[in-house]
Amino acid sequence: MILTLLSHQWKSFWRSRNAGRSLAIQIVLGLIIAYLLASILTIGFTFPHMLHKFYPGQDIVRIFCSFIFYYYSFDVVLRFTLQELPVLSTQPYLGQNIPKRKLVAFLNIRSLFHFLNLVPLFLFLPFAFMEMAHAYGAAGAAGFIATIIFLTIFNNFLILYIKRRTIVSSWWLVGFFAAIMAFIVLDYFHIISLGKWSSASFIRLLSAPSLVLIPVALGLAAWFNNYRFLLGNLYLDEGIAAEKEKTSREYTWLEQMGLSGELIALDIKLILRNKRPKYILRLSALFMAYGLIFYTKDNLKEPHMYIFLFTGIFVTGIFIINYGQFLFAWHSNYFDGLMSSNISLPAWIRSKFMLYTAVSTIIFIITSFYGLISWKLLVTHLAAWLYNIGINSVISVYLATYNYKAIDLSKSATFNYQGTGAVQWVYSFALILAPYVFFYPLARFVDPWVGFAAVGGLGLISLLLQNWWVDILVREFRKRKYLVLAGFREK
Amino acid sequence: MLSIIDTVKSYNGNIVVNIPQLDIPTGEIIGLVGNNGAGKTTLFRLLLDLIRADKGEILSKEKNVAVSEDWKGYTAAYLDEGFLINYLTPEEYFYFIGKLHQRSKADVDEFLQNFEAFFDGSILNSGKYIRDLSKGNQFKVGIAACLLQQPELLTLDEPFANLDPSSQLRLIRMLKELPAQQRVTVLISSHDLNHVTEVCHRILLMEKGRIIKDIDTTADTLQELESYFEV
Repeated sequence: MILTLLSHQWKSFWRSRNAGRSLAIQIVLGLIIAYLLASILTIGFTFPHMLHKFYPGQDIVRIFCSFIFYYYSFDVVLRFTLQELPVLSTQPYLGQNIPKRKLVAFLNIRSLFHFLNLVPLFLFLPFAFMEMAHAYGAAGAAGFIATIIFLTIFNNFLILYIKRRTIVSSWWLVGFFAAIMAFIVLDYFHIISLGKWSSASFIRLLSAPSLVLIPVALGLAAWFNNYRFLLGNLYLDEGIAAEKEKTSREYTWLEQMGLSGELIALDIKLILRNKRPKYILRLSALFMAYGLIFYTKDNLKEPHMYIFLFTGIFVTGIFIINYGQFLFAWHSNYFDGLMSSNISLPAWIRSKFMLYTAVSTIIFIITSFYGLISWKLLVTHLAAWLYNIGINSVISVYLATYNYKAIDLSKSATFNYQGTGAVQWVYSFALILAPYVFFYPLARFVDPWVGFAAVGGLGLISLLLQNWWVDILVREFRKRKYLVLAGFREK
Repeated sequence: MLSIIDTVKSYNGNIVVNIPQLDIPTGEIIGLVGNNGAGKTTLFRLLLDLIRADKGEILSKEKNVAVSEDWKGYTAAYLDEGFLINYLTPEEYFYFIGKLHQRSKADVDEFLQNFEAFFDGSILNSGKYIRDLSKGNQFKVGIAACLLQQPELLTLDEPFANLDPSSQLRLIRMLKELPAQQRVTVLISSHDLNHVTEVCHRILLMEKGRIIKDIDTTADTLQELESYFEV
């Protein structure tokens, strides 16, 4: 029975409208996933080599083990943002002659088919075979592998359980994040050390493989806990009714800005109340820290400054890049209504500019903490921010007039490529690469700082010309309005 | 109010709407009837400038709807759920629509009091987003939002289809009172011949994109229509 249900899931995945439509997207997507897994596997295989290089003469198994708890803590956060609850898919089966416990078991098994459950295997198992089997014998390595598998299962079901709980009461969410923060802070100030705990536990495990019973018990307990909770809560209405009362919200400060403010308020509600845009918001927040990877001492020397334009555009423009690729399509469900209601096209487009300016400015202010690393970053971010609100916002709206693919807001977010087409592939490239057209020659032949000045200056000029842009964009949108409308109607 | 001149719309060579000339004077209630595929919804979409006509023009108050945006200020329409912003609560949606027509919140609240019976207690303060309402209730939200705009031209696509019997009767009463009070021109399509003949002053019968009958409603109209639809 469970196999039949799984085969239905498989079919629903392949036969969903967005899956069947474009083979090219699937191939690209498949390649991306394969690439990711291959990279992770490569990291897994090069672990022994890297550890030998960075920690010569030390016990690399011990060092390796100290990473594992950190990984699983990170995994918890990743799962919390990326993993979704496989709930609704049971609806058609509830009325059939299938025992509930089978449905619940199915839900649990279904949740194991997730990218994040593969990652630890790819990351840690090569090391187990290459090093641990040597040092601690087959039994030790086998115990380690089993531990990895069951810890993954433990994390998987723990997070699903917490997420299900947070649907009922948001206090679970607060508690969860408080706990995570507490761990990070305590570890940062060396009051506790996850690394030490980690290496101590795993070394112990390697020498006494029977300890594997502990993670196995943890994994099974998490599974059973989830099972029990679901069994008691598998009612259609409860999942929904347990959600809190929906209340009306008004953003008075926005309303004072007239029609455009009202439209921005609409965008804000759209983002906060629908899964997929909300996911994009979270992703954007995560990517604000992206600069940390690049802003190292070495990179801060002038010859390496080319990368700073990219990071600046990416960090301060993350919202434009992510949200903007479906700028109009987010509204596709009711675009007929919007276009026949009393909203003039200039006001519609102006509201998009205002939204971009507001959000990018907020991001610019938040990410100004990079200025603590070096004042240079503040300057590069300033230039990139001006370019984003001045020019990228225009490119974004312009490309939105070419996007004819609808988005179903009610669908979940991860690996949802509905509405993705050629425009989206062009989109990010256009936003990120175009500034290099101005920047590169100046930076190469004159000075990087002149390049940044040019990028920022162009952004500023374009920003001052915004009313002119609005007229042009309205004209462009009119040309393709019917195509956009027809595309959005086709769901 | 409305003139449709020499308008043709076709998809892949099939003509869906073909109207050489149609004038709709202010204050009339027009019923559009016809079997599925007759072109009723397409005609509505043409009126609202949601699709481009292959040929011809549609004038609303002497202005081409595809060129000027003036019609948006006095036209209200509800064709399907695609006109509702489904992640808003009904109140938020009404305030939003009210705002587009410069009506304050207090104004909207006062207006909505007239709809208490129509809403039957299941729409306002329901603690739900529009997407969580039933089809019928969503329709009620759409209709109320239209009336809230105090339109001069009101367009409803099959307004009776999703409503319960009492709401259908209430809607009929509201529609009948409209032109008398505010000189509103109303355009509705329906498969319910009884309701249409009761509400409308004039009935347009569509078949394959053409208006084949243009009848001023009399006591015999219902019979005439029934004999057409009888196969």
